Amino acid sequence: MALLALNDLTVTFDDLTAVDSVSFTIEPGETLGVVGESGSGKSVTALSIMRLIEMGTRAKIKRGQAEFTMPDGSTIDLLTQNEATMRGIRGNQIAMIFQEPLTSLNPVYPVGEQIAESLRIHERLSRKSAMARARQMFDLVRIPEADKRIRQYPHEMSGGMRQRIMIAIALCCGPRLLIADEPTTALDVTIQAQILGLIKQLQVETGTAVMLITHDMGVIAEVADRVVVMNQSKVVEQGPVEQIFHSAKEPYTQGLISAVPRLGSMAGKDDPEAFHLAGTLQ
Amino acid sequence: MTDLGIAIDSSMGTGSRGAFRMFLRNKAAVAGFVVFTFIVLVTIFGPPIYGVEAHKMAAGPFLGPGDDAGPLLGTDYLGRDILAGVITGGRTTLFVAAVAGAMAMGLGLVVGSLAGYFGGWIDALLMRVTEIFQAMPSLLFSLVLIYLMGPGTWKETLAIGLTLWALPARLTRAEFLRVREMEFVKASRAIGSSDLRIMTRTILPNAMPPLLVAATLLVVIAILFHAGLAFLGMVDINTISWGSIMGKNRGYTLTAWWTVAFPGIAIVITGLSIALIGDGLQDAFNPKLRGR
Amino acid sequence: MIALARSIGIRLGQAIGLLLAVVVIVFLLIQIAPGDAALYLAGEQGVGDAEFLAKIRADYGLDQPLLVQLGTYVGNVAQLDLGESTYFSQPVLGLILERLVATALLAGAALLFSVTIGVALGVFTARRPESPASHGVTVLSLVGFATPVFWLALMFIVMFAAKWGILPVGGIEDVRYEGGWFGETVDTLQHLVLPAISLGIIYLAIYSRLARASMLEVLESDYIRTARAKGAHERVVVYKHALRNGIIPVVTAAGLQIGNLLSGALLVEFVFAWPGIGRLMITSIFRRDSPMVVGIVIFSAAMVIIANLLTDLVYRLIDPRIRVGGSR
Repeated sequence: MALLALNDLTVTFDDLTAVDSVSFTIEPGETLGVVGESGSGKSVTALSIMRLIEMGTRAKIKRGQAEFTMPDGSTIDLLTQNEATMRGIRGNQIAMIFQEPLTSLNPVYPVGEQIAESLRIHERLSRKSAMARARQMFDLVRIPEADKRIRQYPHEMSGGMRQRIMIAIALCCGPRLLIADEPTTALDVTIQAQILGLIKQLQVETGTAVMLITHDMGVIAEVADRVVVMNQSKVVEQGPVEQIFHSAKEPYTQGLISAVPRLGSMAGKDDPEAFHLAGTLQ
Repeated sequence: MTDLGIAIDSSMGTGSRGAFRMFLRNKAAVAGFVVFTFIVLVTIFGPPIYGVEAHKMAAGPFLGPGDDAGPLLGTDYLGRDILAGVITGGRTTLFVAAVAGAMAMGLGLVVGSLAGYFGGWIDALLMRVTEIFQAMPSLLFSLVLIYLMGPGTWKETLAIGLTLWALPARLTRAEFLRVREMEFVKASRAIGSSDLRIMTRTILPNAMPPLLVAATLLVVIAILFHAGLAFLGMVDINTISWGSIMGKNRGYTLTAWWTVAFPGIAIVITGLSIALIGDGLQDAFNPKLRGR
Repeated sequence: MIALARSIGIRLGQAIGLLLAVVVIVFLLIQIAPGDAALYLAGEQGVGDAEFLAKIRADYGLDQPLLVQLGTYVGNVAQLDLGESTYFSQPVLGLILERLVATALLAGAALLFSVTIGVALGVFTARRPESPASHGVTVLSLVGFATPVFWLALMFIVMFAAKWGILPVGGIEDVRYEGGWFGETVDTLQHLVLPAISLGIIYLAIYSRLARASMLEVLESDYIRTARAKGAHERVVVYKHALRNGIIPVVTAAGLQIGNLLSGALLVEFVFAWPGIGRLMITSIFRRDSPMVVGIVIFSAAMVIIANLLTDLVYRLIDPRIRVGGSR
């Protein structure tokens, strides 16, 4: 049975439809890549699953179901739960990390405390035990000098380290689904590889499913098991990653794939050349 | 006594025609403008029309506002007409506030533009001077100035102007620092414009919006300042102003509340209308801040 | 640790330099002022008494070159000698210090009142931005800005004494009161209520609007989204995560306003006959007690400078990003 089964999700902002009848599933332990250009609705979809989209915006979840399988085997529709239930799920069953680690961490509290907070909310740990567990998380996300770093503030850390902290916060309560919204877009290329590698490794270690949102087909090729392609609020195509890359059916998908620069494609040519985009990116 | 800095956001855009239209759409701002214009007109034409001399006895003393025997807003301990006082007092108050405000604005503009434009040691020096003036509580400083200079309407105006210039100076400096880095300034310099020309023709017009808003609020502060000084009795005893009426009648507050209430209400309404204009200008120049 | 001490040292040095500059400016103002400096310093006693004037001249070294005079004066101030009051015939500094507590009490209470309730209102209306309360805050902040503090004080007197008869409207204590120190404290606090509220309510109006704007901005931040994504209760999100970031501009503003607060305190002290430094200033002006007037200006400048230092400290406590010694 699927861990999360999204069906006919439709989200509007006043007259604008940001997400139009989006449906896909996420199996336990798999990495689902959600790819598309900016504005295609990927983030809104993710925030709708978490029911974070309606806070402070004019968004309305018009219709749809998000059937999530709880640990005891029962399923609940996330879109109809009340706020108290959702709070129990956020950070606990489903966790989310965002694109900008600097602004996503509270600047006035030490990072260790911010990890510990999640544990105190969901596992009701005392401050001391929560901090001890937070310290352990540092090892999990491979941050060295944990004792020193646990008391540091976000602005005292590098971008890659901050993203590791975000991952630690997300994973500390053992969620079964991690939604990663463009986790590496704001990072240097070398750090990108590290973070992606870390996510993949943690996934293997903890068995968490990952919904990875990105606009970068290269990232998808690296880490995803299955892919959902979105364009302008709709799902264009979905399927196993090899199938999508080798035999994409839709012109849009073909366009996206061919837009990834290939190493060596300019070999033997003296002058730069526009590269040929297959399909259409309309 | 309040402070400009927290009321202004200096990251404003320009575009005067669109701003003007936006201002007109702001009902509160337009209302403020109308009320203020009305007050100014009353101050100018009121005394001759109303005819009653504010400093002369008009009726029996201590007549309340509802009393049929007396004028509309009552009389004070000497039987002076409060309404006449309010109408006449407005002249002095508004005049001093306007001139003092202009003085403070002017001085602040000069200091701030020099500091912001030239930077370096000029900036450091001017900023130190500004800091010194800001270290002294403003009312106390102006009291000392008046103490040293003696009473007199022009001296009061000067004292207030010399006290309030620090804030416009800071604001102007911030604006000049911001605009100085923009492309069109560099372009102007590239064609050989003199410093003075760049400062006055190129940078200043672009720095105007927040400075304009600051000017309106500065006038309000000047009004409050003058009222305070008059209330304390530190000004020319022969001139009537809203503050002086309240000051003279202070001892009779409990028995004749109307003598201190109405001049104060006049100040609040005037100040509020000017503040609404300022707020409207701020909104017009930067609609992003609406609702804040 | 060393970096912190060094930073404090630098700030302290700057503060002292600033105070020094204030003293120099005040001194120069006295010199520039029209009229005989000796006459000013002699006050009422000096008029018509040539012998006394000569004595003043000798005491203050007024026939010495300007720089020497300046040096003497600065030297005196550095030794905490602000001269002697011509009215009381006692050292100025001592007389000021006697009244310091009263003013500090008034200003402190007003500040506390305006910041805490202002922030509370700001948070409340930030969570309900379109509510009538929110619009009320906007209107009240504008009205508050235009309201003379002494008029408000008078209106309070009218309301509370004349109409409703509760709360005392003058002085700091009921001289007839006989009880022990607890009773006296309560009595003082009762007398403090109206003056403090008169002084504070205008700032309250302004701070609540500022707090609201700040909270609205903070609540749109990414880290608030993260806190919600962790499953934190909205109350925790607002009061733990948002608030600490949101009050930063308010603290900054409050710190910058200390000078204005003292100016306002002067007027409130005058209206309520509150025995503080402000009231002393006014009575000294009427008595032409120049050493007192000058002494108070210098002392209050010192108070503002110290208050700014303290605000800087508080600011650093709240916001770890600008703490000294932290790596960046």
